[in-house]
Amino acid sequence: MSAPTTPRYSVVLAATVNGITPVLLLFSVYLTLRGHNAPGGGFAGGLVMGSAVILRYLVAGPDGNRSLRFDPIVLIGVGLVLAVSVGFASLIVDDAFLESAIWQWKAPVLGKIKIVASSFFDVGVHILVVGVVMAVAVALGEAGDEMRGRR
Amino acid sequence: MTFGWLAAQTSAVLDGDDRVVDAEWIPQLTLSITLRLDGFGLLMGLIVSGIGTLVMLYSTQYFGRRDDLGRLAGLLTACAGARLGIVWADGLLTLFVFWELTSITSFLLIGFTDKDPAARAAATRAFLITGAGGLALLAGLITLTVVGDAATISELAANPPSGAVTNAALVLVLAGACTKSAQFPFHFWLPGAMAAPTPVSAYLHSATMVKAGLVVVARFAPIFADQGPWRWLVVLAGIASLLVGGVRAMRQQDAKLALAHGTVSQLGFLMVLLGLGTAASTYAGVAMLLAHALFKASLFLCVGVVDHEAGTRDMRRLSGLRRALPVTAAAVMVAGASMAAIPPTFGFVAKEKALDGLLDDDTGLVGTLALLGIAIGSGLTVAYTIRIVVGLLGDDAPGVDAADDDSEPLAPIDPSSLHRPSPAFVAAPVLLAAFSLVAGLFAGPVGKWLAEVTVSLDPKTADKKLVLWPGVNTALILSTVIIVVGVAVWWFSRAATRTVDARGSFSTDTYDVAYAGLLEGARRTTKLTQSGSLPLYLAIVLTTLATSLATALLSGAPDTIGDLDVTESQVELIAVLVTGALAVTVIFARTRFVAAVLLGGSGYALAIVYLVQGAPDLAITQFLVETLTIVVFLLVLSRLPADFSPAPEWAPRILRIGIAVAVGVTVSWFALSASNARTEDSVGFEYTELSAPEAGGDNVVNVILVDFRGVDTLGEITVLAVAGAGVVNLVRAARRQQRRKHLEDGSDDALIDDDSTRRIGVWR
Repeated sequence: MSAPTTPRYSVVLAATVNGITPVLLLFSVYLTLRGHNAPGGGFAGGLVMGSAVILRYLVAGPDGNRSLRFDPIVLIGVGLVLAVSVGFASLIVDDAFLESAIWQWKAPVLGKIKIVASSFFDVGVHILVVGVVMAVAVALGEAGDEMRGRR
Repeated sequence: MTFGWLAAQTSAVLDGDDRVVDAEWIPQLTLSITLRLDGFGLLMGLIVSGIGTLVMLYSTQYFGRRDDLGRLAGLLTACAGARLGIVWADGLLTLFVFWELTSITSFLLIGFTDKDPAARAAATRAFLITGAGGLALLAGLITLTVVGDAATISELAANPPSGAVTNAALVLVLAGACTKSAQFPFHFWLPGAMAAPTPVSAYLHSATMVKAGLVVVARFAPIFADQGPWRWLVVLAGIASLLVGGVRAMRQQDAKLALAHGTVSQLGFLMVLLGLGTAASTYAGVAMLLAHALFKASLFLCVGVVDHEAGTRDMRRLSGLRRALPVTAAAVMVAGASMAAIPPTFGFVAKEKALDGLLDDDTGLVGTLALLGIAIGSGLTVAYTIRIVVGLLGDDAPGVDAADDDSEPLAPIDPSSLHRPSPAFVAAPVLLAAFSLVAGLFAGPVGKWLAEVTVSLDPKTADKKLVLWPGVNTALILSTVIIVVGVAVWWFSRAATRTVDARGSFSTDTYDVAYAGLLEGARRTTKLTQSGSLPLYLAIVLTTLATSLATALLSGAPDTIGDLDVTESQVELIAVLVTGALAVTVIFARTRFVAAVLLGGSGYALAIVYLVQGAPDLAITQFLVETLTIVVFLLVLSRLPADFSPAPEWAPRILRIGIAVAVGVTVSWFALSASNARTEDSVGFEYTELSAPEAGGDNVVNVILVDFRGVDTLGEITVLAVAGAGVVNLVRAARRQQRRKHLEDGSDDALIDDDSTRRIGVWR
């Protein structure tokens, strides 16, 4: 395999990614939370957030001057635990595993607020998907970088 | 705390007021967790929690300050919890779940000193044996559920099934019980489990794990003892264990191992009593269970004290302990007397009851056989008890000869060098031994209480009682003969058993050979099926797919194929054409990169079809997955050569094209006819109606995912999590291997700090 001739750092791409990241992150959260009533959901939201992180990863590479302080695999566990605990919480509250409870109340400025227990389940899915995407991408990416670096 | 709660419940439960907890678990599968606190459950609960508490107190003294004491305490508590679950379980599947939990917790406890390979091997052995037994138990319980149309033990008792299928189920249940309670021929894991620290052994072998099988037998025997092979199996297995354990206990020098073999023997005894299923033997069995829990825990804990203070448990080296450790010695003697059934201990009272019951037995040949076996076994028990007590406390120890030229002979320890254990240390064994004595002296009240407890197993035990001194009757004469014979056996064998030290056993060897064979077989199978060639895997998977689909379609597919009307929408028509065109182009791609991008394009076009068809959720997911797939492709492709590698020799072009076409045709055909194959009404309408009122969501797709079929989703994300972790670890393992290779080559890049590479540069 020949050494890469193009520089790995692209200014244009980096600038674009920098601008778009917050939008993507917000959008992913929006997708997850609106999922209960409109197209979207935890899986889609997680994929968007995962894409955002991967974009940054592609731009920065492992040479980025600030690094993530945790192993993305942790996110997989956190997501799974959250999803399972929602299941058990509804087992306690509602006597059945994963039976969703609905809470509604009126808040001053925001108007009517409705929270469904399964939204938390979806948040768990979201976190888990982000974790899987990041972990896989990072593992594969690192391996590639290392091989290229060696040649 | 549990002990206190149970004690508080005593009067209510004995008045016939069972505490029943019935929590729905997975109502869709009619699985629920049913617990019932009845008399027997109460007794066992008191034993488990009482001895558990004492062992915990003892452990703090035994281990002193250790980092992993928290782990031990957690495991012991978990083990006790699982154990309580077994004794209180009424639901058959609830029973199984807790059964497996005790298997797992005891695996962790036996292998507690996880740096010791012997401990790990012993833990694995115990786990495999009891795990296999657990599977047999599960099969038996499920069969009983189906045959008896009952989900709980009480339902089975109310309306017991019978017949050949029931008999098969009972054999399976017994097999499970025998593995767990270390009955012949599965007994060998128990002595091996002595690799655990002594407090753990005491707990596992007196109160927790091994009694689980007995509990199951005790609960089932009054219901099923008269059926099929039950009684014969129980008696034969029990007596075999009684004798094998007794003989082997005579040949150990490690006091703890001798006790462990003694446990096998005692468990056989209990198995016979509880398994016979007559009111008298069940009652005696419950009394014996209590007696055994008290004296065996006390003895194990005493051996632990000796081990702690003298630094050895080898009876050839222990000498003069009765002067050096007088309190412990007293406890050993009392508990030993109870084990050998010497009056006035509780062991004597219980065994007297057992013999008495068996003498009046009306079960015919089996009962006679049981009596004979128990008489001989009890003689052995007397013999090995004396041997252990004398070995631990006696004076002239022979020392250990040098095993070979390199090792030194080990002299007997000097009793005057021992320091006294603290009162807190010996408190637990002394207390347990004292109970053995007190319960014997107050046999009347204890017996009355036990009779009330045992009623929950068999109503006919209500009028049974225990007495300390029954007067001269057949049972007492028999007891006297047993004790005399036992003493004689010990006396005449003491020279022969003085230095013998039997370690291995035929069963253990058989197991080891079978285990090694299994591993070797697995290795060969893997070698045969896992060639490591991706093209071969793909060829096999795809051919299988095409063949199975074609078979299904040819044997029973609906004749009609759904409407192929794609002209409804021009956007859709274009999208379909683009999808197809891009897919075809992939074939002509010369580099991996181009092929990946074309595939991605095909996927995007397909997403448009979904969108037009009114499935926005599916379309969103399709878009996102395609995007990520391309990214992952790129990351992987950066490691591979740019061009495709040449096809393997065994797959000529014509074969590859053949497989590809076959898969394409069958999958398309299948998809087209599947949409027309519906025979039942779609559940979709119901979901759509229920979505907003039941689950509070308007997006029915999402509601199905997170609510109606939420358990499915949970399963899927679990698979996703495992797959993700698997990919990461595979890549890391491959990298580690590569790095090691480079390290051997002396390459500098090999020395990359693993920790730093794992972090990623995301936040610049």
